[in-house]
Amino acid sequence: MRTGAKSDMTSQVTSLARLRSRLADIPVLVALLTFAFLFLLFSIASENFLTLISLTNILTIASIKGIFVIGVAMLMITGEFDLSVGSILAVAAFVFAITLESGMAPLLALTLALVISGILGFINGQIVTRTGIPSFIATLGTLLAYRGIARGIGGGNFARFTGERPFLFSVLNGDLGFINELAFPAGNARVSVIWFALFALIAAIIMARSRYGSWVYATGGNREAARSQGVRTNRVIVTNYVITGLLAGFAGLVSFASRPSVDPLRGEGWELIAVTAAVIGGIWLKGGFGTIMGAAIGIVLLQMVEQGLILIGVDVQLFQGTIGFILIAAVILGTYLTKQ
Amino acid sequence: MTETNGRTPVVEMQGIVKRFGTVEALRGVDFKVYGGEVRALLGDNGAGKSTLIKVLTGVHRATSGKIVLDGEVVKIVSPADARALGIETCYQDLALVPLMSIWRNFFLGRELGLKLGPIRWLYKKDMAEQTRASLMDIGIEIRSPRDKVGKLSGGERQSIAIGRAIHFGAKLLILDEPTSALSVGETNKVLSYIINAKEQGLPVIFISHNVNHVYEVSDSYTIIRHGLKVGTYQRGELTQQDIADLITGAREK
Repeated sequence: MRTGAKSDMTSQVTSLARLRSRLADIPVLVALLTFAFLFLLFSIASENFLTLISLTNILTIASIKGIFVIGVAMLMITGEFDLSVGSILAVAAFVFAITLESGMAPLLALTLALVISGILGFINGQIVTRTGIPSFIATLGTLLAYRGIARGIGGGNFARFTGERPFLFSVLNGDLGFINELAFPAGNARVSVIWFALFALIAAIIMARSRYGSWVYATGGNREAARSQGVRTNRVIVTNYVITGLLAGFAGLVSFASRPSVDPLRGEGWELIAVTAAVIGGIWLKGGFGTIMGAAIGIVLLQMVEQGLILIGVDVQLFQGTIGFILIAAVILGTYLTKQ
Repeated sequence: MTETNGRTPVVEMQGIVKRFGTVEALRGVDFKVYGGEVRALLGDNGAGKSTLIKVLTGVHRATSGKIVLDGEVVKIVSPADARALGIETCYQDLALVPLMSIWRNFFLGRELGLKLGPIRWLYKKDMAEQTRASLMDIGIEIRSPRDKVGKLSGGERQSIAIGRAIHFGAKLLILDEPTSALSVGETNKVLSYIINAKEQGLPVIFISHNVNHVYEVSDSYTIIRHGLKVGTYQRGELTQQDIADLITGAREK
């Protein structure tokens, strides 16, 4: 087997190249290093960063988006986009709110909202696999269409649940008191963090250790090859859209459970945050490469930057600009590392 | 022109005609391949050799004619059909995923694993080990089955595809221009894998327009020109120059 190193290269160059190729093999590493660097930076720059309230805040806010980032990441590894996650999230929250308010049993309302979310994901998958139009455009269309459904259900207005909060709300997104009371001021950790960690772990294991994971990578890496080897690539794509729809819907219910009202703009713009998190986490835009853990680190990183900038005293208006800068830096670094 | 005596062919294509609109790409071709041989399929660009193979692998449907596999008439209307019948085709790059490891590619679509409800839990170690052993059998040494296919050279990638076909018990291996994009050293390696495949009992159809590459490793040569079979010749019947002349039509039969 060739070593790939030319004899006239200096040892310095080859060791750099070797480091580069090793880094490229572990896509999560770059995200992890960036995360560690920024974490250190904020810890030094702001005395309030390393506090329970600040850290739990980051995790809790990141976790709701994190739940559907997992689905978006799986889809991007398959080589497809889903821009409709924010709209599906809103539809699920509205269905949940209105059915609960009308007196439906909480578990039934939850099931109904999730079934609808799954169906919306299934429709995305069918449009993408049957028509062959790029998923970026297809789900841009459903982003608008599903947002229209959410507005329609809510009559263009807020939807609230005014009854006594059912136990289900605590399961979905209760307060994690035993963590929050560990320090003063008290933390802000909620159950959504556990859901996020749990889903991320399950998805990561499936992607690394199951046949389905292998098929997802193959579908994104070389669809023709995968098909020629008997992988049912369309089924993989549709399944991933359904998973993403379910996760987006679940995130909508989780966010509703902590504060039982939902507005027609809920989740708007979150689809791009999800894509940003996935890319910062080392997932390739053209698919076939990246990890769920990387994307999970990506979304926490984004939230950490927002929180950190506020604590440092940087104008919040600079947040988006900073994220844009980090995104571009991540892509450039990724391109450099994976250049053959 | 001679035919191999007495044995039943592994695959027999009879009177294959293929028309694309008004163009007749194949005008009634008979083609037989026997067990344990490497058969070269030669012809100039556009002669019809690729069309003939695509009929066999289910990419195209013949306008008329039939295919007999192991003595039975078979219907092959899709690549999946061909594969299910044990006909494996290796194209230059088509059937591998560069970003995935060698063992994942090797077992892609045929993964070994434990069924746990809807999930199939992969036997990663088993598959990596089997991949290494199986490639070793045909003389391919890899550093690690966990390496990415993208890091391999063109010849090594061919070898993975060839090894895969042997491992999964293909009845017939078709190599479509396997050496066209390779260096001399790499080409020699791939040729040695082809011989090893034959020694493992797997008949090979070797498609090429390069007489040099096929001459040494093939047991017989079928030459196609203008959609018609010029003939099938045993090794030793023709010189390289004869073959080249038959391909171009500088010489008739």
